[in-house]
Amino acid sequence: MSGLGGTGGWDVVATWVAAAATIVVLGGMFGERRLFGWSQHLLAGLATGFLALVVISEVIVPRVVEPLAADPTGRPELWAGLLLVGLAAGAPWLPRPVASIPIGITIGALAAFAFGGAIIGTLLPQLVATTAVREPTATETVVAAVAALVTVLVVLSFLHGTPRDRIGRGAHRLGRWLLVAGLGGWFGYLVLSRLVLLVDRVGFLLGDWLGIGR
Amino acid sequence: MRDRLVRRLLPAGVLLLVAVAWLVPEVPALDLDTAETGAVDAWEATLDGLPSTPLVLVAFDPDVGTYAEIRPTVRAALAELLARDARLAFFSLTPEGRALALAEMDRLREGQANPRRWADLGFAPGAEAAIVELSRSVPVADDVGGEIARRFGDGGADAIDALVVIGGNEIGPRSWVEQLLPRVEATPALAVAPTVLLPELLPYAESGQLDALLATPGDGAAYRSSVSVGRLDRFLDASPPRALPVLVGLVLALGVVGVALVRSVSADRGNGGSGAQRAREAEA
Repeated sequence: MSGLGGTGGWDVVATWVAAAATIVVLGGMFGERRLFGWSQHLLAGLATGFLALVVISEVIVPRVVEPLAADPTGRPELWAGLLLVGLAAGAPWLPRPVASIPIGITIGALAAFAFGGAIIGTLLPQLVATTAVREPTATETVVAAVAALVTVLVVLSFLHGTPRDRIGRGAHRLGRWLLVAGLGGWFGYLVLSRLVLLVDRVGFLLGDWLGIGR
Repeated sequence: MRDRLVRRLLPAGVLLLVAVAWLVPEVPALDLDTAETGAVDAWEATLDGLPSTPLVLVAFDPDVGTYAEIRPTVRAALAELLARDARLAFFSLTPEGRALALAEMDRLREGQANPRRWADLGFAPGAEAAIVELSRSVPVADDVGGEIARRFGDGGADAIDALVVIGGNEIGPRSWVEQLLPRVEATPALAVAPTVLLPELLPYAESGQLDALLATPGDGAAYRSSVSVGRLDRFLDASPPRALPVLVGLVLALGVVGVALVRSVSADRGNGGSGAQRAREAEA
């Protein structure tokens, strides 16, 4: 299963289990819903179990329990964190202003990191890259100018309401179509990724499991 | 009744065609590694510019839905880094990425990669907040010893000589570019990502925020055919994706879209014009 050519007993068992699971999932395409549903439950159960294992063994025990057990008064921020977890768990029974504190802190922190990162790491560097840098060739200058134009038109398509003047309406409509074309291109990439996954699974069944074509 | 039968048989036909295409020997005209090698050149140039025995943080967060596409390239990249005498530190921010990282580290262990050259920094929750935390203090577990632990202990995140992001749909190179790179001193960043992330990541590669990006099957194939890993070729993937079945699948997908389009146009004509046309008439 690791691709290192293991042929031991457990490798064979793992290959057969994986082949069975792959066939069951592919069977969903032919209308075999019961086994397909069972495989979805299996995946959800395994994912949940793995998540619990990772969180307990790599987060809760080493980062919360062990530091608090070693020095109960030395890490007050961990007690504050535990209090917030308690508030989140007891939210259904607590007054709304109290229950909203952990949710507010979580959403606020996530938004702050995402917003700050987007400005410092994406918006400003991308603005510099597209506007303030001289391109080495005329072709690249034209490409950069077209990219900037497309960006402006797509941004215009997000304007609230339709502009009344003719040029504004045209730009708005063109921006919409460019946006749709972009989404179409992205969808094409998505199809390609999924096709590679399907081909990989077919290759696994034929090559690794049945031993054909290797 | 006929439509129902066709709907049942169509997936079988697709699978059969893909399987037959998979069994056909490789067609040289469809070789993906003839693609433009600019991305590969950038990758190699970035690695050439690293100091000897570089400490590389491998941010490993692919997702199972797209990992099949990048897996051969990821394995080749890990083998190349080990062949270049790099020290690899694996770190994950998603449980899915953690599961795949564990599988790849297990593979390194089975292949008897020198255990002093790679270490498991584990999983950290909090997504972007965890990246910010890592930029202040790298979480090295007690059971991680040797040179990697010492270098992180001495220099923290500044000890990182290069960042290699194995991206997926949830946490990808964008998060690392936004959160880590502004906080650490001029660290080269390389990324392997599935094609679906290309529109999001190409601007970072073009602007130089990402020093190298391998994000298409063509880039991956070109990289794999050019990479030199010496005796570590046992870590390369034995079954990289084949071009012909993917091409067959793409043609079938285009066929499905075409049929749906024709049916939609026919239905609109049968109903007296397109939806947009009817809306304009109603507005008038």
